[in-house]
Amino acid sequence: MRTGLARDLGIGLLCLVALLALPVLFPHPSLRDFLIYVIAYGLLAMSLNLLVGLTGLVSFGHAAYFASGAYVFGLLMQGGAVSIPVAMLAAVGGTALLALVIGAICVRLKEIYFSFITLAFQMFIHSIILTWVELTGGDQGLRGGIPRPPFLGIDLGEAGTLYGFCAVVFVLCLLVMRQVWQSPFGYTLRMIRDNPARANFLGVDVVRMKLGVFVLAGIMASVAGIIMALFVSGAFPEFGFWTTSGEAIFMIMLGGTQVFLGPVIGAFLLQLLNHYVTIWTHHHGLVLGIVILAIVLGLRRGVADYAAAWLAERRAASRPAAVPGPAETPAPAETKAVG
Amino acid sequence: MNLDVLAGCVTTASCFVTQVSTGLIVGMLLFLVASGLSLIFGVLGVVNFAHGVFYMLGAYFAFAAYEVTGSFILALLAGAAGAGLLGIVFERFFMSRVYGRDLLMQLLVCYAAILICDDLVKIVFGADYKLMGMPESFAAAPVEVMGGFIPGYYIFMLAMALGIGAVLWLGINRTRLGKIIRALAINPQMVGALGINTRLLYAAVFGMGCVLAGTAGALAAPVRTLTPGMGLSVLIESFIVTVIGGMGSIPGALVAAVLIGLTRAFGAIGFPLFTDGLMFALMGLVLILRPSGLLGTRTA
Amino acid sequence: MSNGANAIGRRGLLGGAAAGAAILAAPRIAGAQAKVIRVGMPTVLSGRVAILGTSSRTAVQYAFSRMNEAGGFGGRTLQLVERDSKGRPDEAAKVTRDLINNDGCEIIIDGEASSGGFAVHEVVRDLPVLCVHTNSETSSLTADPKLHVKTAFRCARQGIHDAVAGGVYASTISKQRGLKRWMTCSPDYAYGRDNTAEFLEFARLYDPAIEVVDQVWPRLFAPDYTENITKALQVRPQAMYSALWGGDLVSFMEQSNLYRLFPNVALFSSSLGDPPVLTAIKQLPPGLHTAYRYNRTYPDKPDNTAFADGFAGLAKHEPTNWAWQNYVACQFIGEALKRTNGRTEGAALAAELKGMQISSGLAVDEKLTMRESDHTLIGYPTAWGRTVPKAPFVEDFAPIAWSQILEMETQWKKQKGYA
Repeated sequence: MRTGLARDLGIGLLCLVALLALPVLFPHPSLRDFLIYVIAYGLLAMSLNLLVGLTGLVSFGHAAYFASGAYVFGLLMQGGAVSIPVAMLAAVGGTALLALVIGAICVRLKEIYFSFITLAFQMFIHSIILTWVELTGGDQGLRGGIPRPPFLGIDLGEAGTLYGFCAVVFVLCLLVMRQVWQSPFGYTLRMIRDNPARANFLGVDVVRMKLGVFVLAGIMASVAGIIMALFVSGAFPEFGFWTTSGEAIFMIMLGGTQVFLGPVIGAFLLQLLNHYVTIWTHHHGLVLGIVILAIVLGLRRGVADYAAAWLAERRAASRPAAVPGPAETPAPAETKAVG
Repeated sequence: MNLDVLAGCVTTASCFVTQVSTGLIVGMLLFLVASGLSLIFGVLGVVNFAHGVFYMLGAYFAFAAYEVTGSFILALLAGAAGAGLLGIVFERFFMSRVYGRDLLMQLLVCYAAILICDDLVKIVFGADYKLMGMPESFAAAPVEVMGGFIPGYYIFMLAMALGIGAVLWLGINRTRLGKIIRALAINPQMVGALGINTRLLYAAVFGMGCVLAGTAGALAAPVRTLTPGMGLSVLIESFIVTVIGGMGSIPGALVAAVLIGLTRAFGAIGFPLFTDGLMFALMGLVLILRPSGLLGTRTA
Repeated sequence: MSNGANAIGRRGLLGGAAAGAAILAAPRIAGAQAKVIRVGMPTVLSGRVAILGTSSRTAVQYAFSRMNEAGGFGGRTLQLVERDSKGRPDEAAKVTRDLINNDGCEIIIDGEASSGGFAVHEVVRDLPVLCVHTNSETSSLTADPKLHVKTAFRCARQGIHDAVAGGVYASTISKQRGLKRWMTCSPDYAYGRDNTAEFLEFARLYDPAIEVVDQVWPRLFAPDYTENITKALQVRPQAMYSALWGGDLVSFMEQSNLYRLFPNVALFSSSLGDPPVLTAIKQLPPGLHTAYRYNRTYPDKPDNTAFADGFAGLAKHEPTNWAWQNYVACQFIGEALKRTNGRTEGAALAAELKGMQISSGLAVDEKLTMRESDHTLIGYPTAWGRTVPKAPFVEDFAPIAWSQILEMETQWKKQKGYA
C-alpha cells in the first residue's frame, strides 16, 4: 500500500463533499446541470490523459468508448430487463472488450500513425452507429428517453439524486485513476512515454503495458458516456464523432497534461467558456479559436501545468532545499512532454 | 454486390470510359488537396489539420473574384493566390511557433484556424448556399468519347490538375529550388548552414501546399456548393489519401487519389452500399500492414 | 508528480467551481411576473446547416416584432433568446435546460433538426414548459404515442404527409407519361432512407407499374456526386426520386447539369422547391418536379406575400422552408397567449393549442390546424410543382387533398402500431 493513499482518499472525500455541498449552497438547477456536464466531460478528458499525458499515446479516437458506454447502457435500459448498476457494469465490460480488440491493433503503431488508426476505428464505429438504424436509431439516436428505474432505494429520476450519484461515481473513478497515476505501472508508462527503447531493454513488455492503459482509458471513458446518457436521457451518434474526441483533447491541453487533475480543470474552463460565449455571441467559433491561440501560443501549456510550474519556481526561489519526501519530488521527465 | 453488372460495365466501352473519367474527376481534385497536405508533411514534418480551410478559402476567393470581375481565369488565380498568401501568414505567425512541439499543439493551432475561418466566412459571405458559376463554353453539352460522356468543364479541370501535378513534379525533381526543398526535408540544419534562409523556404513550401488546396477549391467552386465548413469532408478524404499513398509522398498521393476515385466510380456500379466503408477499411488495412503507405519512405 | 501541484489542482478546481457556482446561481430574471415573455430557441447557427438556424431565427424575430407592435399579450411582450447548439444533441439538451432554468424562458421554440429535436423533446418531458418543434420532419416524434409529451407540439411538415403527397403526385405523372423505370438517389442516413422508402411505397400503391431499377445512397454532406450521376447514365431510368436537400442538392443539380441528365430523366425531388436551393443553382433545368418547400406565390394569399417581403427585408434572402414553419409556430403561440391573456404555464398553453385552428397565409385552405390527437400541424401546403428557370422558379402547384393524406396517414399509423 502506498503512503499517499490515505491522503488521496482524504482529498477525494473532500472533493466529494464539496461537489455535493455546492448545489445545496446554491440551489439552482442550472448549476447542477453545469456540474454534471463538467463531470461527464471531465471524466472523458481524464481518461484520455491516461493515454496522452501519462503514456504519450495521442489518440484521436477516444470518443468511440464514450459512445459505446452510452449506447450499450442506453440500449440495455431501454430493453428493460436489467437494473441500472447491472447495465452500467455491462456497458463498462462491453467497452473494455471493444477497447481490447481495437487497442491490440492500434498500440503497435507509433506517433501520428497511432493517432490516425484510432481515428479510423472511431469513424468506423460512428458509421456503424449511423447505418445500424434498427438498433441505434441511426442519426436520430436512441429515442424516447432512457428509463431510470429505482434500485436499492435510489431513484435517479430525481434530479438531485442523479447529480449525487454522478458525483460519487466521478470521485470513485478519479481515485482509481489516481492509484494508477502513482503506481509502479504508472511510472512504467511514463518511462515508455519518455524512452520506449530503454523500457524495452529493461524487460518491460511495452505493447502489453500500452494495451493495459488503453483498455483502462476506454473503461473510464465509457463511465463518462454512461453519465452523459443518464443526464440527456438518450445517446446520439455525435457522442462517437471526431468532434467529441477533439473537444476532449482540447480540454486536456487547456487544463494541462502533467498535473493529475489538469483535464478536469480544462473541462471546467471549457464548459464555462462555452456557456458564456454561447450566451453572448453567435460567433463562438471565432472567440473559442482566439482563446485557443492565446493559450497555445501565449501560455504554451495547460493552465494547471502553467500554474504548477510557476508555483514550483516560486517555491524554489524562496526555499531552495525544501522538498520534503520522495513522493513529492518532481521527476525530471515530467516536464518533457510539455516543454 | 452486383458483379455481373460490374463485369458488364468494364467490358462495354461507353460505360468503361464514363466510369474511368468519373474516377479521374473525383480523384484528381482529391489529389490536388492531398498533394498539398503531403508536400507540407514531407518537408516540414507537420500535419496541416487546417488544410480544408484553405480549400474553402480558395473556393470563396474564386467566388468573390468571379462575382466582381466575371473572369474565370482571374477567379482561379484569386483562389490560388488568396489561399497561398493566407497560408504563408498562417505559417509565419502561428504554425512556425509550434514546430518541434508536440503533435497536439499543432493540432490545436489548426483547430483554432478552422473555428476562426469558418466563422469569418459565415460573417463575410453569409450562411446560405453559393455556387460560382462558369463560362458558357464550359457549360456546353458533354463530349462523347467512344460512346461515353465527359463534360467540357471536367476535361478542363482534369487538364489543369494534371498540368499542376506535372509542374509540381518537375519543380521538385528537376530544378535547383526543388533540390533545396528535398534537402530541407532531409537535413534542415545543413541547408541552413549553406546560407539558405530556411524560414523563408518553410513559409514558401507551406504556402505552396495551400496554393494547391486553394486551386482545388477554386476548381470545385462552380460544381460544388460553397458553405462555411465545406472543407471538412475534403480534409477527411485527403487524409485517407495521404495515409494510403504514404505521408510525404506526392506520387503516392496521386496513386491513392486515383485509386480512391476509381474505387468509388466502379464501386457505385458493383457494390454501391459499401464504397464509403471501403475507404476506411482500406486506410486501416494500409496502416496495419504498411504504416508508411503504398509509396511512403518514412518508417513508422 | 509533485503533490504540491496536485493540491493546487484541487484547490484551483474547488475555488473555480465555487466561483462558477456563484455566477451561475444568480438568476437573471424574476420569472413569471416579468413584463417580457422570454421565448427560448435552441437551434443550429454554425457549420454547414447554419442557414437552418439563421432563417428560423429571423422568422421568429419578424413574427415577434409584429406581435409586439400590435400590443403584446395582457401587457406582456415577446422576446427571443436563441442559442447555438452547434448541431450537437447533448448540447441542445443542455442549452434548453439552461434557457428554461437560468434564462427564465417560459416557452421553447425548438429549432433543432433530427436528433437535436428528440433531445429537446426529452428535456421538455422533465421541465414541462410549452415547446413547439419547428424543424423536425421525422414523423415518429409526434406519431409514436410512446414518445408523447403533454406540452410538446410540432409545427412543421413531416415525412409521412410528404410521402403520401409525393406518391399521389408522382403516380399521376407516371401514369400519364408511362414512367415505369425508376431510380432513387438519396442521402445515406435515417431520414433519407425512410423518406425514400415511404415515397416509393405510396407511389407504387397508386401506380403498381412503377419498377425501381436502381438505388444509390451518397453520403450526407458528400461534396461530389459524379459517380452517382454517371451510374444514372448507365442505368437509364425514366424517372428519378431524390431526397437530397440543401447544399447537397445544389451540388447534385449543378453536377447533373454538366451531364445533361435531367432533360432525359424526369426528376422528382423532395426539397428542390426550397428558395435558397433554387436561387443557388446557376442553371435550373425547366420542368423538374418538386415538392413545395416554400414559395411566395403559393398559397396565393396577401398574408403569404407580406410574410415573404417582411422576411426578405430582414434576412436579405427569400424565406426558407424552416422560415415559414417558425413563422407559423409564432402565430400559434401568439394565438394561445392571446387566449390565456399572457399566462405562460405549459399546461394552460397546451390546453389552448390542442386542436387550435388559425387563419394564416400559409394555410392551403382557410385554416391551419394543430391536431388534438397527436399535437401536430395539418392543413399546410403539400403541393407539388414544376420548375421554371426564372423567379418564382416553381409554378403550376398541384395541391394534394388533405383528406387523402389523412386517410393514408391513419393506415400508416395502424401499420406501425402507433394507432
